[in-house]
Amino acid sequence: MKRIFHLAMKDIAVLMADKGNLFWVFGFPIVYALFFGAIFSGSQEGPSSMTLGIVDEDGSALSRQFVEELDSRETLEVVSFSREEALARVRKGTLSSALFLKPGFGDGLGGLFSGDRNIEMASDPARAMESGFLQGLIVQSLFEVVYKQFTDMDTIRSNLDLWREEIRNDVGSTLNTTIFLGFVDALQLMLEDVELDSADSALSGFNLSIPTVEVAGENKGPENSFQITFPQAMLWGILGCAATFAVSLVRERTVGTMLRLRICPISQAHILAGKGFACFITCLFVIVMLFLGGKFFFHVPINSVPLFFLAAVSITLCFVGIMMMVSTLGRTEQSVGGAGWAIMMVMSMIGGGMVPLVFMPEWLHPFSYASPVRWGIYALEGGIWRGFGFAEMLMPCGILLAIGAVCFVFGLWLMKRFHSVG
Amino acid sequence: MISVQNVYKQYGRTVALDGLSFEVEKGTTFGLLGPNGAGKTTLIGCLGGLLVPDRGTLSIQGRSDPSQIEVRRCLGVVPQFIALYEELTALQNLRLFARLHGLGGKALVQRVEACLEIALLTERAKDRVSEFSGGMKRRLNLACSLLHDPMVLLLDEPTVGVDPQSRNLIFESIERMKQEGKTLIYTTHYMEEAQRLCDHVAIMDAGKILADGTVPELIEQHGGSARIEARLHGDEDLIGPISRCLENNPTIHIEDRLLGFETRRPMADLTALYQAGIQLDSLTMESTNLEDVFLNLTGKKLRDS
Repeated sequence: MKRIFHLAMKDIAVLMADKGNLFWVFGFPIVYALFFGAIFSGSQEGPSSMTLGIVDEDGSALSRQFVEELDSRETLEVVSFSREEALARVRKGTLSSALFLKPGFGDGLGGLFSGDRNIEMASDPARAMESGFLQGLIVQSLFEVVYKQFTDMDTIRSNLDLWREEIRNDVGSTLNTTIFLGFVDALQLMLEDVELDSADSALSGFNLSIPTVEVAGENKGPENSFQITFPQAMLWGILGCAATFAVSLVRERTVGTMLRLRICPISQAHILAGKGFACFITCLFVIVMLFLGGKFFFHVPINSVPLFFLAAVSITLCFVGIMMMVSTLGRTEQSVGGAGWAIMMVMSMIGGGMVPLVFMPEWLHPFSYASPVRWGIYALEGGIWRGFGFAEMLMPCGILLAIGAVCFVFGLWLMKRFHSVG
Repeated sequence: MISVQNVYKQYGRTVALDGLSFEVEKGTTFGLLGPNGAGKTTLIGCLGGLLVPDRGTLSIQGRSDPSQIEVRRCLGVVPQFIALYEELTALQNLRLFARLHGLGGKALVQRVEACLEIALLTERAKDRVSEFSGGMKRRLNLACSLLHDPMVLLLDEPTVGVDPQSRNLIFESIERMKQEGKTLIYTTHYMEEAQRLCDHVAIMDAGKILADGTVPELIEQHGGSARIEARLHGDEDLIGPISRCLENNPTIHIEDRLLGFETRRPMADLTALYQAGIQLDSLTMESTNLEDVFLNLTGKKLRDS
């Protein structure tokens, strides 16, 4: 055990001597956590707005009311354009979407209750997600406007006056004119008797905002954005460690130090265990550093410290196994380094280490289950803010340990088969 | 002490060791002299337990498996290439390998200091190896193999690419180890090194031992004749006495008092001439060496191979 410790200390000393390695192992994760944490924390203070181009070809009171309603939203900045200019901007990609309110939009409440669609939207195909979000806001605003049409008494009176005017102007059928005017007068009398509050309360159920149900236990979800970015940063640090140690193992072979180790009175298992132990210590050190930095400098609350460290140890052991396997994938530092980063990048990409899983195509989701990065982030989040219990931690941690064990055994087999020293 | 019997080792179609057999007595220095590709490093690999022969048997101090940890405790190997952690200091390298050999406490400190002195690196102990010259690295490479004070040392071309000062220092270290009674196997393709350091030399080529023995034995058996040229003193005709002294050597040639002849035993012939009262004004002798032995055995020069 002493010799394994000495070997591990040697590897850590070698790692510390290389500033390039130090950056990838320690520096990059901190930069990642700070950079993305700062970005996301900025968005929490107030969501950044999206720009919607408006082409109001109707010019009616309702269309103006609708544009005002859109403009009142925090997440939207409404800018008026001509049709040609709006289309050109969407085509060039400087505007994600443009909304066209065609003549007659005001007559049928935006086409909501008629077959005429007097509203059109042009969207940049490359920003489909943004335009989908905008469509939701547009529909919501339209309903808000309609809602006001039925709850605001002044608007109702004004509409009734307008209808009277239109009925009187319709000289084609005198009998019908009298009947319709009578109906409108009766309607006005009835509405004058209705309490405004009761009318409002009768329609108050017409609300598109969806109440949220708390699912994250006592922690009520992530309290700050660093709770999201620090687990990802920890994973990046571990990926860096695993890649670095995989290369260091093959470097031992290429520069001959492996030969010198093998002529010492120690077994090959000692040598490999020393390398694995060094990788384990370094990964754990990265996690602890980020944990302490997150806790004391960025006030990242940890829901359960023991469960967080259970996740950390599981991830670390998993990546020690992956490191062992990656180190056997080539005979030179270049080939192992290339293969290592390629594998780690794919793991990170499909596991949500780079882009959150929700933004990935649906067909890619099943593949993410094969990525230890996914399970690593999931386990860390379980300890940090998801409020997992021990039983809930067993699955992600068990999967991580299983992946690590399989990779370790496979790596050992490859090493004995193809990389016997001598 | 060390026994190699009928050892074969093949890499694909290339035969690296082709039925090698020899024995090395305790306390002697056994040289393996041969060109690059002769199989010297493969043999060191097999003796160091890093390679397993396809056939044949090896034994070191009575143990047949050199990869056994007990054998490694008494075995030191100096690899042909620099096998050091260049990112670490000389001291860190020495301490690491000392600890891996099971040293600790005072013994570790003493051995590390002793090895730094052997390598003449005490002043540079805390400098990184990457800052060292080639010669310094070679010396440290040797020192790292001496930490556990091994009784058997395998040196695989330890002086390749070093400056004369470092080479002399390495030679002195090896000679000191010889005096301490250690058993050494020394591979080289420099015949000067083999002649200076080795008690017994085996000439290797293409995985085979072509000849072995002490250096004088090899020269006598395979070195060919030495060429002697001498200027005779006086004017008298000496062809008769000289012929008698040199047992009618057919290569004798005298012209303008300049005597020339070839002989396999130059010292004996010169002694005979002296005892016969034949005086010489000057003498030049082109003696044979291991280079000639190798040339005569293989038909090619050591360095050209």
